[in-house]
Amino acid sequence: MNRNALQRLAIMRAAMGLYAVVWTLVRSANIIDTSGQPARRFDPIGPLWFLDRPLPTWVTVLGILTVLVAGTALIVGWRYRISAPTAAIAFLFVTTYRNSWGHIIHTENLASLQLLVLAIAPAATVWSLDARRGAETDTGERDDGWWAVNAMAVLAVGTYFMAGVAKLRISGLHWVNGDVLLHQVAFDNARKIIVGAPESPFAAFFLSQHWMMAPAAIGAMLIELGAPLALIKERFAAVWVTTAIMLHFGILAIMAILFPYQLLGLAMLPLLPIEARAPGVLHRHRWLGNFLRWQRRSPITSTT
Amino acid sequence: MAPLIAAAIVLSPIVHDPRHDSYPLSTYPMFAPDRGALLTIDTVVRVDSSGVVHRLDPNTISGTDEIVTASVVAVKAIQRGEADLLCREVADRIGDPDSTVEVRSEQVNTIDVVDHHADPISVTIWAECRFGE
Repeated sequence: MNRNALQRLAIMRAAMGLYAVVWTLVRSANIIDTSGQPARRFDPIGPLWFLDRPLPTWVTVLGILTVLVAGTALIVGWRYRISAPTAAIAFLFVTTYRNSWGHIIHTENLASLQLLVLAIAPAATVWSLDARRGAETDTGERDDGWWAVNAMAVLAVGTYFMAGVAKLRISGLHWVNGDVLLHQVAFDNARKIIVGAPESPFAAFFLSQHWMMAPAAIGAMLIELGAPLALIKERFAAVWVTTAIMLHFGILAIMAILFPYQLLGLAMLPLLPIEARAPGVLHRHRWLGNFLRWQRRSPITSTT
Repeated sequence: MAPLIAAAIVLSPIVHDPRHDSYPLSTYPMFAPDRGALLTIDTVVRVDSSGVVHRLDPNTISGTDEIVTASVVAVKAIQRGEADLLCREVADRIGDPDSTVEVRSEQVNTIDVVDHHADPISVTIWAECRFGE
């Protein structure tokens, strides 16, 4: 089966860019509401650590609009050298600022990091408007793009590995006996009830099935600490991606916590030969094939 | 080289205390600690004129629809001695002069709460206020 990093990057460009745009659009009201909280709650983190007071609301709105406009250009690969870094930095700003109000939400960390790599990758060399107009889009004809695919794959598995390490460092091997998971699921759902939000409809049933706790905890730990194995072989990657997505379905079912980027499999795209499926998809969706055939050149130099 | 740099970056929080969290680089500590079943959970409630306690939604508590943010807003207001400020903020959002708003800590058995919405074992009230006061 042929492997082509430039095509894989192009697919990731469209998918991850679409995610950033849709997420920002859907969460825009929440982001603006969050940034409108009283200044005493402002607690800047990460790349915004240096701020000593909240920014005016118009800056947040400008950040959102920048993600929407630059992100749309990123999706179709238009003026990629400018649009991609602009979208990635704007997305990082919007998500960091949203998290700078006393509570860190962990659903967009990986999307932010992978977008930063995608922004400097040769991801608009094929299947893009830049390629169509013959623009000098990327870092040179010899850049096969695998460095970017592999870097984004490492970010994905590294994130899960870190989550497993945190469990071991904070709770030790005690984490896998099932009690910690039981208490975590109970706490998270009870907190939802107490702050007037809907809990998971499956939580009470899950908590009553004590025998499931230890196997579920061991499974979660194996998926997290075993994530680096996905870098070794495509077959391992396919198995790991499947189990990781199942883990997120489980988290959604019993804790009503949605990790959309991971659940949709977007975080794991660098690990999979998604470009091998492209001919079949283009055959089924002719409009997409016609769009992509607009391009004038296809400098695909790397097939293995 | 790029994958090695990516690995160094994503694993770099390992040098911190595992409870030290940031963004976009994180230790991902959220599901790691053993919280136990008996816990104190901070929140804000409305008490109507007949003394019935009504749960408020996250938006009314914190001004955003984020569930955990609402909980953290109550936690931090109590920790920082700002329960009165939060109480007035929530009372203004509700706008009902006949109800009392309470910022409070509820000691609960979390499993019982999820199982049958059990009442709190004990309640500590940090601030009490009415709209317009």
